[in-house]
Formats: sequence, structure tokens, C-alpha cells
Amino acid sequence: MRPLDGIRVLDFTWVVAGPVTTRILADLGADVIKVERRGSLDFGDRRGGLSGSLMRGKRSILLDLNDPRGLDLARRLAAVSDVVIDNFSARVMTNLGLDYDALVQIRPEVICVRMTGFGLTGPDRDHVSYGPTLQALTGYTLLMAEPDGPPAGFGYSYSDLAGGNLGALAVLAAIWHRRRTGRGQLVDLAQLETVAAVLGPVLLERALQGGASAPAGNASQEAPAAPHGVYPCAGEERWIAITVFTDAEWERFADAAGGPAWTRDTRFATRAGRVRHAAELDRQVAQWTRGQKAEEAMALFQRAGIAAGLVANAEDLCARDPQLAARRHFVEVPTPEGRTVRIDGPPFVLSETPGAVSGPGPLLGEHADEVLSGLLGIGAEEIAALRAARVLG
Amino acid sequence: MTGALDGVRVLDLSDQQGAFAGKLLAGLGADVVLVEPPGGSPLRSIPPFWQGVEGPERSLFFWFYSAGKRGITLDWRTAAGAATLRRLAARADVLIESEAPGTLAGLGCGSAALRAANPRLVVASITPFGQTGPYRAWRASDTVAQAMGGMMFVNGHRDGPPLRSLGLQAYHQAGIFAAVGVVSALLARDTTGRGQDVDVSLQAAVAGALEHVPGLWHQMGLVAPRQGTLHWTRYFCVGRCRDGWVMHCTLGDWTSLVEWMKADGMGAGLDDPALEDIKTRQAEADRLFAALDAWAARYTVEELVQGAQLRRIPYAAVRPPEALLRDPHLAERGFFVPIEHPDLGLTVPYPGAPFRLTDAPWRVARPPRLGEHTEQVLAELA
Repeated sequence: MRPLDGIRVLDFTWVVAGPVTTRILADLGADVIKVERRGSLDFGDRRGGLSGSLMRGKRSILLDLNDPRGLDLARRLAAVSDVVIDNFSARVMTNLGLDYDALVQIRPEVICVRMTGFGLTGPDRDHVSYGPTLQALTGYTLLMAEPDGPPAGFGYSYSDLAGGNLGALAVLAAIWHRRRTGRGQLVDLAQLETVAAVLGPVLLERALQGGASAPAGNASQEAPAAPHGVYPCAGEERWIAITVFTDAEWERFADAAGGPAWTRDTRFATRAGRVRHAAELDRQVAQWTRGQKAEEAMALFQRAGIAAGLVANAEDLCARDPQLAARRHFVEVPTPEGRTVRIDGPPFVLSETPGAVSGPGPLLGEHADEVLSGLLGIGAEEIAALRAARVLG
Repeated sequence: MTGALDGVRVLDLSDQQGAFAGKLLAGLGADVVLVEPPGGSPLRSIPPFWQGVEGPERSLFFWFYSAGKRGITLDWRTAAGAATLRRLAARADVLIESEAPGTLAGLGCGSAALRAANPRLVVASITPFGQTGPYRAWRASDTVAQAMGGMMFVNGHRDGPPLRSLGLQAYHQAGIFAAVGVVSALLARDTTGRGQDVDVSLQAAVAGALEHVPGLWHQMGLVAPRQGTLHWTRYFCVGRCRDGWVMHCTLGDWTSLVEWMKADGMGAGLDDPALEDIKTRQAEADRLFAALDAWAARYTVEELVQGAQLRRIPYAAVRPPEALLRDPHLAERGFFVPIEHPDLGLTVPYPGAPFRLTDAPWRVARPPRLGEHTEQVLAELA
């Protein structure tokens, strides 16, 4: 069994953040029915890879929601679903008559998740956004940079992942709440707030101590540490991340590195000294790491009990990392066409009722017939007529 | 109204690696009891400190991660302390820990032993690489986990080093997945009557918070590079206005954007009908962002963003995090929750709900003083 066996999710989400939420629900055993539109954005092969990892284990039905017959089918599916979720701008579901006030009429205990950029209330509620613009508004873009340097990060929409993963927590909590109270509810998830909620203590610091945040490169944001950051290794684009917090760790680090003269520099003998002279220390460490293979230096330091790790690129992560391989983080999934595709699996493990990739990503509209006949009892003739009218894809 | 997890009892033994999980569960209404060693949680020694002065009640880092938890001190690394921990676990729903694999079992407090006395207990472990696999005993910091989980390689300029994120995002993602795992295990318990283990690896949690990196490798063998703020889809890039940075976007209403530029006498060549196709705009990103930047220089960030949003083009100001503190939108939504710290005579605006369950409000409360609830919690055992 899986934790969400018997839960049905009607999933209007697209792009990344919403699909991230519903893929976790699918991994946990929910029946996720993805309601899709013609010509909506995807990222190539729907079975595996990026799109497949976002849509894994979901069923797909293509409905024309601009046609009253299509909208009626969506409403009837909502009436037999536990969770209805979208990540459109706030007004879209309201205009379609699929917002919480409408859904609760046909499914009183529905959990309705509205995943928007800015939420359902507030002066900016109709602003349009994507992950990168939300990261810009919340400080990530400005502060992921070298000291005094121009913005340099994120290279991707982390905000969609933070919002999507937190969205799954929201749905699970709402399901728990419904089991105990019998009540469904509206969930107002503003991705601006999810990504603000994971900033960390910096907001308290600015609120209480004033001042302006400035980029700090790869300096530690937890306990003071030096050396701390990434250092170049032998070869092209090979880097190692190293963190040394304590004096005991520093001694082990120095021994592991073979005790070069600079490790005995008295300026580096204490944590305070190392942090004060971090720039000089970083230069020395980098000079040493340049002669090392990243994997070998990582193993050397880890054997000495030092937090050190390869800065993994896609190939390191997906094809070389023995730890993720041992934990079967990436899984091979057969497709109905007889191919095998690679897909990201759930990143946490439950010992008794584990989540699992239920299947590859669906083709557009692949499950229309089984969804309409199985859930709504619609016959083959009517399905054919709906398809001929292009209400159904 | 009560929180969604009202009545769920959580023991939180974790350090900074796992602290976010308990914070989320406390926000959802669970009774989260932070179990600190007698000298205090290691988080209490992590800066920044109130007024820059170190002290166990002055760490803003501790405050952020411990808001809404109760706090007890218990030296569970001793035999007597471990016995008390077992008694606490016997009446808890959830225990969260972040010790090296095997540590709690060595003290007679492993999940199997605890579940022998309390079969309904869910035990969530948050460790650098998880409970299994060749690296299970290896160490990590947030930065090392970001590196090994694939987040860092794609952040930074082409000719610069990989950059870690703002905020401890390896720890935060692990905390989110631990909370997801815990609530999943509680839901499963409704059916099975038994608790289970939730095994969270920082590295895997980071890998579970990537977007294009694994997918494009699986799909086409692409090793995603660093390319500064140019988003991997090539539809977003940071540019420069008269008074600061702005996030450009070539999705949304492109025609309106070009008309706007043309009205300013700019954007020559951008009315090419081929550019109405987003795939063409993706391919020509370098040229488009250069043209947008030349045009943006005549505007302030606010002018440009307001004009773009009026045309439904997703532009945004590149702001520092503190801009959120005076953002009228968040103010109207009440995102920050003022919490009294009476000992310091302070009111602290805590970041609030990451999402709003309208029938089960998010809970924000003051972090515990060292040992504040020890007597209360031990009395509950009696």
C-alpha cells in the first residue's frame, strides 16, 4: 500500500511548480488526473526526462475548457475528486467557474488548492510571474553573487521546486485535516510566500538590525567556517566543496592534505583566525586542490571526517554517483511503446509504505477514454462524439 | 480554528540539518518539543545574534528555526537521559533526528527499540546521505550537500565558480521532504496502525529540488552549464535599468512588449513575425536581451515593471530580501507575524505561512527559552 491510496487529484497544473506538487502525490499513490489543453508548454519527450519526471505516474485527459461540454466534463470529474489543484493566475479558475466557491457546491468536502504567483488576495494578486521573477523579488537573484559582483544565480526556477514541494505538504496536511474533521478547504498558496518562507534567518536579521544585504559568494551561512566554499580541481570544470567548522576539523583537514606548510600558518590555527584570513586561506586551498582530482580529494577528506563533496554536474549526479545509484534515486521505467525511460524518483524513503514512480509520463490525452468511462460512466459512442467535436483530445 | 496537525506530538532532536522539518510541523499546528542538550541546541551558537552579542537567547538563527516549538533540556546521550527520551517517545507520534546513522540505536533509542514500546511512532531521520548506501557515514554542510545534489554546478557565471544558494536550501528541502514524509506516514498509520521510518538524505533532497539538470541528462545527455542569470529556458535574464537590476522575460505578451519599445523608438528588428514563436525567441535570446537592455536603461525599475505588468508581461524588480519587509502586498496578506520576545522587550516580525489552509491556520509563536518547558513536559509524562 501507499499513503495516498484511494485519493483522487484533479490536476489542472502546468509548467513546473504545480506538476512538482502532484508528482509527489502520484508517487504516494494518489490517482492524479492531469487535465490538459492543446498547445500547452512542455519540455520534449513526455514519457521520461524532464517532462516525464514532472508527469510521472499521472493520467492525462485533454479537454477544451472553452467549450461548455468540456467544462461540464471537468466539473463532473471534480465532483468525484478529493483534491482539485491549479497553478494559473488567480482569475482563470474563477472565470471558468472552477474556483472553490463553485466546486464546493458539487463536492462539499473538496480540497481546492490554488497555487498562484501572488495569492488570492492583496494588491498584486493579478500580477503575472514565473519562478525567475519570484526569485528576483525575494532576494535570491541579487544575493547569489560574488562579493560586489552582479547577480549570478539561480540558473533555474528553484522557486517552482520550493513551491511545488511545499504544495505537497499543504495537500497532505489538508487530507489529514479532512480525515479528522470531515471538512475540505481552500488552500491559498502564493509562490511568492513559499519562496520567501524558505529564505531563512536573513529576514529576521534585516528586520531587527537594519542594514542592507550584500552578496557574500560562497561564505558559510550557518556556523562560521573556513575554509568554506568551492575550490577548483584538476581538469575542466571540476570543483570540490569543502566546509571546515571547528579547530579539530581543521587539524584533520591539514593532516589529510599532507600537512603542507601553509596549514601550519599561525593565522590559521583558530577558527576566528581562519575566518578573518579566509581570502588568503582560500587561495592556499585552491592552489592545493588544483593538483587534485575532485573525486579523490572528496574521498580523502571524507575519510578524515571532513565535509567535502564534488560539485556534481548532471553526469556526475545521474550516471556516476554511487550513493544516489545505491538508493535508486533515478529509476528506469518501461513505457507502453516498449522503451525504457529514466525518471527522478521520490527523494525520501518510507520504510513500510514507500512512495514509488507509478509509471512514465502520460502522452497528451492518453487516458481520456478510461477516465471518462471508468469515473463518469460515459459510453464509447459519446466519447467518440466528444472527440469528433474536439471537446476531447 | 485549530491547525491541521493539532494534537500531533513531535519530539525534535535534530540540529540545523533537520530543524526546518519541525518548524513546518509546528506551523501546521503540531506540538513540537525541541529536545536540547543541557548546554543548548547548537543552533543557539550560530549567528546572527541580537545586537551582535552572542548568547543562548540571542541567536536569530535559532529563533527562525525554533519558532513555535516548545523546548526542554535533556542529555539523552547519557543512560538516564536516554531512558527519559524513551519515555517521551512512548507517548509521541513523531520523532525527528539528524544524528549520524546508528547513533540513536547505540543509545537504545533506535526506531526499532522505540517502536517496540510505541508501535505508532514515526521516526524521521535527516542525514547528509541517508541511512543506506556507501556514503551513509559521510559528512556534509549545507554547501557540500548543495554541491553533491547538483544544485550548485548550474548557479554562477560561466567564467566564475559555482555558487551556493541564498539560504540553507539543502537543509530546507530536506526539512520539507521530512515533513512530507512524516504526514504521509501518519496518513498510512490510519490504515496500518503502525508507524514507520522516514529516511531523508540532504543530497537526495537537493536532487529533488532541481529542475532541468537530471531531466535533460536523461533525455539528451546534456550536462547543463552555468550561464549566470540567463535561465536555462533562455526566456529570462537579469538586465539593467536606470536605477537597478530588473528580471527581463520574453514570455507573456511579446507583441505588446515590442509595441511599447517601438513607441519609444527602440526595438528595431524585433517586430519580425518569426519572433512571435517562443521557440524563435528562445533561440535568439542573446540578441533579444541585449535589445531589451538597451531599451530598459531609459526607465527606472519601478516604471519598467509597472508598465510590463499592465501589459501582462512577467517582469520583476531584482530586490534584496529586506524589500519583502515593506512590501505592501505581503503586508496586506499579513505574511509577517509580529511575535513578542518579552525578555528582550522586542517585537519580532516572523515570516509566516508558506501556504494558507483557510480552515486550519498556520501557527507562529515565540521560540522557547533554554529549558523553558522542561518541567511542563516532564510533568505531562507523569
